[in-house]
Amino acid sequence: MAPRTCALCSTAKAMLKRPKTGQQICRECFFYVFETEVHNTITQSKLFRLGDRVAIGASGGKDSTVLAYVMKTLNERHNYGLDLFLLSIDEGITGYRDDSLETVKRNQQQYDMPLKILSYDELYGWTMDAIVEQVGRKNNCTFCGVFRRQALDRGAAMLAVDHIVTGHNADDIAETVLMNIMRGDIARLGRCTSICTQGEDTIRRSKPFKYAYEKEIVMYAYFKKLDYFSTECIYSPDAYRGHARAFLKDLEAARPSAIIDIIHSGEAFEVREDVKATQRVQRKDPFSLCWNDWFMCLSETCQRCGYMSSNELCKACTLLEGLERGMANSGITDRGRKKMEADGPTPNNLRTIPFYNPPSGNPAVTIETLA
Amino acid sequence: MSCGNPQTEQDALMIRRKKFDQARTCVKCKTNSGSIVVRYAVYCKECFFPLVASKFRRSLEPTINPITDGPRRRGLKASGNLLLGLSGGLGSTVLLDLVNRTYFKEPSTENGIEKPRGGKDHPRNGSVWAKTAVCYVETCSAFSGVRDKTEEIRAVVDKYDRFDFIPLRIEDAFDNAWWENIGGPPTQQEFGVDVTNEDLFLSTFATGETDSPVSCLKNYIASLPTQTAVPSAVQTLTRLLLLHTAMMTASSHLLLGTSLTSLSISLISSISQGGGFVVREEAQEEWTPRMSVDSNTTERKAGTVRTVRPLRDIGMKECGIWAWWNGLHIVGRERFPGGRQSIGALTKDFIIGLERDYPSTVSTIARTCAKLAPKEGADSICLICERPAQYGIQDWKARISIRSFEDLSSASYRPSHFPERIIKTSPTTPNPPRSPSLTPLLCYACHTTLTSRSIRGTTTNSSMIRRQSVPLPVWVNSRFDIDEKSNGEIWARTQMKGDQMKASIAEFLLNG
Repeated sequence: MAPRTCALCSTAKAMLKRPKTGQQICRECFFYVFETEVHNTITQSKLFRLGDRVAIGASGGKDSTVLAYVMKTLNERHNYGLDLFLLSIDEGITGYRDDSLETVKRNQQQYDMPLKILSYDELYGWTMDAIVEQVGRKNNCTFCGVFRRQALDRGAAMLAVDHIVTGHNADDIAETVLMNIMRGDIARLGRCTSICTQGEDTIRRSKPFKYAYEKEIVMYAYFKKLDYFSTECIYSPDAYRGHARAFLKDLEAARPSAIIDIIHSGEAFEVREDVKATQRVQRKDPFSLCWNDWFMCLSETCQRCGYMSSNELCKACTLLEGLERGMANSGITDRGRKKMEADGPTPNNLRTIPFYNPPSGNPAVTIETLA
Repeated sequence: MSCGNPQTEQDALMIRRKKFDQARTCVKCKTNSGSIVVRYAVYCKECFFPLVASKFRRSLEPTINPITDGPRRRGLKASGNLLLGLSGGLGSTVLLDLVNRTYFKEPSTENGIEKPRGGKDHPRNGSVWAKTAVCYVETCSAFSGVRDKTEEIRAVVDKYDRFDFIPLRIEDAFDNAWWENIGGPPTQQEFGVDVTNEDLFLSTFATGETDSPVSCLKNYIASLPTQTAVPSAVQTLTRLLLLHTAMMTASSHLLLGTSLTSLSISLISSISQGGGFVVREEAQEEWTPRMSVDSNTTERKAGTVRTVRPLRDIGMKECGIWAWWNGLHIVGRERFPGGRQSIGALTKDFIIGLERDYPSTVSTIARTCAKLAPKEGADSICLICERPAQYGIQDWKARISIRSFEDLSSASYRPSHFPERIIKTSPTTPNPPRSPSLTPLLCYACHTTLTSRSIRGTTTNSSMIRRQSVPLPVWVNSRFDIDEKSNGEIWARTQMKGDQMKASIAEFLLNG
């Protein structure tokens, strides 16, 4: 049987079947369409302005490794005029983060981008290994999520960047749409397909890979010979998300466009106005809210660390105090909180998070640059 | 430190709740021993029947009067007749029984017939619907090896003396005789579509040139690119056949036996196939016929048909218990051959599995989707499914997945291997005249059904496709006409009724 020619250029030999469209295309055309689609996403959504300082959230996994490569390529090709940085958070999970951080360090050299690694240990005085040792595996994701969110903002503030881009791909977004429907999380469902999230006085976060299939990201890394670490967090036994992920993979096998079809669905609907109004009345606890709602509530700053908060203390400080006083549940359950209140006031010698200085335009840290 | 092995650590997995919350006594009467557990609550047999009946009425009755959720103190009075869609499955059989018991059965007491409150002529005691019919659409022609169940369904309906039976066949969707019989305008020209191209170019053939309705149906099914598309297409054809029958029978309401479980399945399945824009219509919809109806064939002027799913708060398990305790005969529905890997079937397996471990999830899905609305106004009505279609669909598709290099000449960057001569010549080469396209007239989900392919290759059965141009359902044919004088541009055509014309100029009329 004669080799097929590429369905796009009709000249080269087809090398792959594109997961997103099923077309048989050549390698060069695949690179072109993958990069151009990301470029279309960036330009249509007007993600960047000329001269923006942009931090790429780099974990060393496939998504962020390819994102760093593509961002650098597009920045040079289309003259975005961006200053690109790599920003990594080291949660302190032995065997999960060590190897992938090595990948990030290699990316720093390959792409000639400044890198900042901020560790939980450095910022909070606790690694995730130590946290799991104290709290067990049941609620450790609460700690990791709150700490990472704040760590990324603090890292971005240290680099004085305007924007953080993350490697969330189409599969992640489709999975989140399904998850939010199944658990009835209306607030998140209304916003999970947004490409960009930003609150007042906060750093913008966006997802340029919003329409990029996970399989195509792996394919891109494979053909470009980019190295990355493929690891699943050993502390996240989220059985429910596992169900949703397996279901999505089945749907994709049945019809590859299912991923993009779910995202289209998510973009086509919104929460009804009367439901939104009811939610606004019911809104009490800002920490149970999604990212955007959360910022809307955060009009004040934490009295202890200066980070945005609607309460006297921000969530990270509350969780940290619980850890330090050996009452980790105090930041999670009402019972735990009451127990800590009954235990007396906060001791003076408690370790706290360094005071937060919002982005000022000048880097507040020395960035690890190439030797 | 944790070893991460769920077998040795209990908190590594979500702990399953007990099947019922407190005691085995019925939560309603608190005296009898429970017979059924419904989402952790225990009910006895005596309390179960009024529970289901009240959920049924609570879902249906706010939609019966012309103004939805309006006052019902003066009683229930629909503006037209009633059509029930019966598939032979569990939900629709239970629905038939519930409708009969609630609205058509004489109330009886131990001493005989009870006098209705206020007398039988009181408006409150009149029939809610003047006439009621049950419609069954036989789909066996779409699949090989599936038997015809029309007579079995007829036997089920015959048990109820108040219901007329209207049997239809799925191939009626391609039958001009059926179309004209329900009052549709005679078709001058029939259209076929080229499914091998995403633009879905149209071609015409004269009336009479087409094959029999069964051949057209088989051709249409065989042309679909994935296994997922087949049940979706059959579902759409069935829905439109029911709606047109409702219009023909002057029905204001079309009731479907979609249970809570089935509703959650269809919501997730629809969202997974790009139907997010019409998520509201999956639960309840108002359909206005786009064709003009001959007033001689219908008693009621063609108005809006309200599709209601009164079992939307009743789970499949409750329906099953209702049918079992009432001795209802379920004819059953067959899964179409090879359909286990379709999105609908996968969703069904997923939701039913989920319902076992997390029973509240099914109702959460339905309740969450009930809180959603389409983001932007509808651009038009899809020609195939006759539901609202969003604008800018094709631009969106082209932006997020590049499928051709047609516009490469204007791109700021081009792939280095792409021959420059082709780029240079392409814009100056005049495009050959093209046929009109169906694509801009479809919603996202219908376009995806006709064009989205599987990575494993197409399921399109070329030996079954009798011609390159695949026939379209009769309501699509009647909706547009090609204006040959304007370079093949397609015009959607709707015959204007007198009151529609009057409504459009009402503000300029001085005498109302």
